[in-house]
Amino acid sequence: MTLSREFKVGLFIGCTAIIVVLALLYLAAGKGVFENPHAFTVSSKSGDGFTEGMPVVFSGFNIGKVQALELNEKGIVVIKIKIPDRHVKWIRSDSTFILYRPLIGSARIVVNTTNLNSPPLDEKKIPEVIISNDINDTIAKIEPVLERVGRIAENFERLTLSLSDPKGDLNRVLGNAEKITSNLATKKSLVEMAVSDEESVKALNESLKKLKDITTNVDRILTKVDNMADKTDSEIYGKEGALPQVNVILKDIIGKLQILDKTIDNINKISTDASEGTKDLHILRSDIDDTLKTVEDAVRKLDAIIGLKKAPEFKVP
Amino acid sequence: MMSFWENLGRRVIQMLTAFADTIVFAGRVFIRIFRRKTYSSAMREVLLNQIYFTSVQILPVFLMVSIIFGSLLIGVVFQLLKEFGITGFFGHVLMGLIVTELSPLLTVLLITLRSASAINTEMAVMKVNREIKTLEMFRIDVIDYLLVPRVINGIISIVLLSSLCSVALLVSGALFSWLIIGMSIDVYTNILLNAANFSDILIALFKCAIYGFFITLIPIRFGLRASHELTSIPIVVSQGMVNVFAAILIIEVLSLLTKLL
Repeated sequence: MTLSREFKVGLFIGCTAIIVVLALLYLAAGKGVFENPHAFTVSSKSGDGFTEGMPVVFSGFNIGKVQALELNEKGIVVIKIKIPDRHVKWIRSDSTFILYRPLIGSARIVVNTTNLNSPPLDEKKIPEVIISNDINDTIAKIEPVLERVGRIAENFERLTLSLSDPKGDLNRVLGNAEKITSNLATKKSLVEMAVSDEESVKALNESLKKLKDITTNVDRILTKVDNMADKTDSEIYGKEGALPQVNVILKDIIGKLQILDKTIDNINKISTDASEGTKDLHILRSDIDDTLKTVEDAVRKLDAIIGLKKAPEFKVP
Repeated sequence: MMSFWENLGRRVIQMLTAFADTIVFAGRVFIRIFRRKTYSSAMREVLLNQIYFTSVQILPVFLMVSIIFGSLLIGVVFQLLKEFGITGFFGHVLMGLIVTELSPLLTVLLITLRSASAINTEMAVMKVNREIKTLEMFRIDVIDYLLVPRVINGIISIVLLSSLCSVALLVSGALFSWLIIGMSIDVYTNILLNAANFSDILIALFKCAIYGFFITLIPIRFGLRASHELTSIPIVVSQGMVNVFAAILIIEVLSLLTKLL
C-alpha cells in the first residue's frame, strides 16, 4: 500500500506536533504549573543576592522558586517563595532557610529540615533567611593576604624609590664608597687614610716593631718558666720527688697516730678510774673528817670533864 | 583617492538599499501569511508539496544525522564535564547549550544546505525561463502562489525538525549520562526538569520560526534577482546562500542577546 503525499505530510506534522506538545506538557507538569502552589514568606535584613525566580532547593532538588521580593515598612526585605503542592511536605516548622551564594554557579535558597515529623510551617509565619556567602568568605580569607601583599608592594616601592633617588641612602652609601676607594687609591696604606698623618703612621710602625721585640722577650721568659716548671714537676711529683716521700711520712704518722689513739684511750680509761678513785678518796676523807670531828668532840668533852674534876683521872670506857 | 571614497559610499548605499528592500519584501510576505485570501487550494497544494520535499523526504536522513552528531557531541561534552568534575552542571549544559542552541542551529544548517539552495535555484531558473512573467500575465499572484507556501514551509519545517532533533538529543543524552556518569533515568529527567526553562524553550522555538522565515525568504529574494540569462543563475544562488548564512549568524547573535537581556 502506497501512502499518499498528503497522508505522509499530515502524519509528520501531527506526530511531531504531538511529541512537542507532550514534551511541553511534561515540562509544565514537572515544573508544577498544574499544581496549587503554596506561598511562604521569609525575611532578610538585606535583599542583596536575592532575585525573582531564584530556586528554592531541598537536598539538592529544586522544590520551588522565589516569586516576589518586597521591602516592608520596617526596612526588612520580605521574600515570597512558591512551593508546589507535592513539595510542601519538606517545609516544616523547624525548617531553616539559607541563602547560599556559591563561588561558582547561581545563588539559591537552601531549605534544611531536621525533623520531617514536625508540624508544617504556618504560611503566616515569617522565618529569617540565614546568609551563607562563599564569595564573601573567600574574600575575607584573601583580604589579610592582600593587605600583606599591599604592604610588601609599598615597601618594595619605597625601596625602589630610595634606590632611584639620587639623594637616597643607597646612593649616599655608594658615593661614600667611591670616595673611600678614590682616597685609598691615593694613600700608601689603609692606616694612613684613617689617621691622615704620615708621622703617626711611622710612630705606629715603630711601636709595632717594639711590641714585636717585647713579645719575643716574653716568649723567651715563658720558655724558661716552662723549663723550670718541668724541673719542679719532676722534683715534686717524680719517683724520688718530695711528694712521694711526704706520702710515706704521712702514712707512717697515720700509723703512729692510730697507736697513739689506743694509748690515749687507755689514758682516758686510767683517768676515768682515777677520777672514780678520787671520788672514793673524797668519801674516805669525809669519813675521816667525820671521825676526826667525832674524836675532836670527844676530846672536848673529855677536856671539859677533866677541867671540872679535881682529879684529872678518868676511866676510859 | 576620490574614486575609493566614491566606491565605498556606493557599496554602503547598495548594501543599505538591499537590506531595506529585503526588509520591505519580508514585511509584504509576512502580511500575506496572515491573509485568509492567500490560502487558495493551489497555494495549499504547493505548501503540502514543499513540506513533503523539505521535511518528510529528509526525515530519515535528518534523524540519523541528528542522532549520530548529537550523540557524539553529548558524549564529548559529558566526558569533559566528568573530567573537570562539574557534572552537576550537565543539566544546564544539555538544556541551555545543546537543546536550545545547537539543535536549532544543526537543523537550520541541514535545511539550508538541502532546501534553501534548491529554492534559490528554482526561483532563478523560473525567472530565467520567464515562468514568473507568465504567472503574472495569467494574473496569478506570485507572492501568494510561490513565496508564501515556501516561507510557511520553512517556518513549520524548522520548528518541527528542530523539536525532533531536541528529542533525539535528549534520548541520546539519557543513554550517555547512564553510560558515562552512571545516572538513572529518574535522576536524569529530574535534572533536566530543574534545568529547563520555559522562556528559553519559547525563545528557541521563536528563533526556529525566524530561521525558517529567513532561510526561505532570502533565497527567494536572490533567486528573483536573476536576469534572463542562464549565467546569472549560479551568481544569484551563491549570493543568496552567502546572505542566508550571514542571516543565520545574525539571528543567532540576536537570540543570545535576547537571552542576556
